[in-house]
Amino acid sequence: MKRFALLTKAMFLMHIRNRMTLFWNLAFPILILIIYRFVFGEGQVGDTDYMTWVAPGVVVFNILTFGLLSSGTLMVEMREKGILRRLQTSPVPASSLVGSYLLVNVLIGLLQSTLIVSFAVLVFGMPLTWAGVLRAFPMVIVGIVTFVAIGQVISGVAPTAGVAVAVGQVLNFSQMFITDMIMPIQAMPTWLQEAAPYLPAYAVVQLVRPPLLKGQFSSDLGFSLLITTGYIVLATLAAARLFRWSPKA
Amino acid sequence: MNETLIRIENLTAVYGHGARQVRALDNVTLDIHQGEIFGLLGPNGAGKTTLLSCVEGILQPEAGGVRIAGVEVTRQPQATKSHLGVQLQHTALLDDLTVAELVEVYAALYEVFLTPAEISAVLARFDLEDQAQKLSRRLSGGQKQRLALALAIANDPEIVLLDEPTSALDPRARRDVWAMIRTLHQEGRTIVLTTHAMEEAEALCGRVAIIDGGEIVACDTPARLIAGLDAYPVLKTACDVALAQAEGLPGVRMARYTGEYLELETSEPQATLAALQVLATTLGHSVGDVTLRQPNLEDVFLKLTGKALVA
Repeated sequence: MKRFALLTKAMFLMHIRNRMTLFWNLAFPILILIIYRFVFGEGQVGDTDYMTWVAPGVVVFNILTFGLLSSGTLMVEMREKGILRRLQTSPVPASSLVGSYLLVNVLIGLLQSTLIVSFAVLVFGMPLTWAGVLRAFPMVIVGIVTFVAIGQVISGVAPTAGVAVAVGQVLNFSQMFITDMIMPIQAMPTWLQEAAPYLPAYAVVQLVRPPLLKGQFSSDLGFSLLITTGYIVLATLAAARLFRWSPKA
Repeated sequence: MNETLIRIENLTAVYGHGARQVRALDNVTLDIHQGEIFGLLGPNGAGKTTLLSCVEGILQPEAGGVRIAGVEVTRQPQATKSHLGVQLQHTALLDDLTVAELVEVYAALYEVFLTPAEISAVLARFDLEDQAQKLSRRLSGGQKQRLALALAIANDPEIVLLDEPTSALDPRARRDVWAMIRTLHQEGRTIVLTTHAMEEAEALCGRVAIIDGGEIVACDTPARLIAGLDAYPVLKTACDVALAQAEGLPGVRMARYTGEYLELETSEPQATLAALQVLATTLGHSVGDVTLRQPNLEDVFLKLTGKALVA
């Protein structure tokens, strides 16, 4: 247990001292909120003002970026540099390594989400209830695990960190606009509205936004959980199969 | 003779599949004894790192196996790995951790939990105590190499595996690392190192296995390998005498010119040199730039494989 704790501490320090992670996962989402305030600040989505509506979307956008880009790329970098190979020579089981990596990813995702929600509440006056927080944050964890699992599939397939970033960017930005995250799904063509519910980011948005806005889960909670669970199971199986300690010879 | 600690039997390892398959090790058998410094000497691509990878338990052999303290590596990798301290060829560190944090976490990987005082003691041994709070990516090349050694023994292992421990180091840093390796040996640890530098193998290793093309071509002490060559020291000098006259000097087995230099393979270097000076004086010439080169592992490698150790 102490070994797991020290390994997790090392992984955590490695993440938060990484300048790319610091910028993209802690500073960038706040920057996005500020930009949206200037661009769409006066808008409404239904009966909700845009900033309140979009803040949960930025929470999901951020964990999506973290899972697909930061987490996956960092794993590829550790493989490319030979760090994974060095860890492989030690008696630490792969399960401990993966477990501590996932735990750190969840902790950082929660830290980022707390930061974004706090900023939205304090600066933009987003209304929030404790009941909403207690319902939303477990769903944030579901989202983090979903996206980290998909990110690890990318890291298993990508030969280099550059390729991992490119693939992650495509999946990240394509989902950003079509999953009700920062733009209402009603603005999309009908066929896209029908397809979107099967995308992982859409399901996570539906899990996180309703409790943050209204303190309650949406009526399609079960369906969204089913979709995310499906992605988690499939991506975890694929990631485990694709995992490599060393770069391809 | 000390008992066998690492037994490598009929080890064959391959990379790739089908037509692209490469045989990196071919039926290698070796015994490494407790408390020795054992060197794997060979050129790049000879199979040295592959052999270490099989001992480390991170490469599954195609055939044969490795036993560490009687335990089969592939059957109980966790148990055999706990005997080892490892330094890989390319120093791979978690760049965003400090030197002290790295020692703490690498020891913990082996269920060894060091106190701050113990971490300082490990760093002091490798002259890194002043760098304890520095991020590892800010270290110099020599400091990184010393840190890699510190991490390899942070878990106080019985066996230390060092893959090219001094590659890319300047001569002074290289000598520092040699001194540290000798200290680890004096503490009773068994050390296996790979190198393509024959002077490193001669300076450090009690026994050396010469490896080429995935096969062990010889294994013995450096002195016995060299003695087995049946070669003589070579006296090299800038002196202009006829080869026929040079061949008649006492002790000379063979004379040749390489460029402007006369090279004399001789069983009696002192007598040969004295006679050469007399001969040169008679002819009105001088004997300059005299060097004497003893046969070394480079010559052994050349004889056994027909090629130079370092291209």
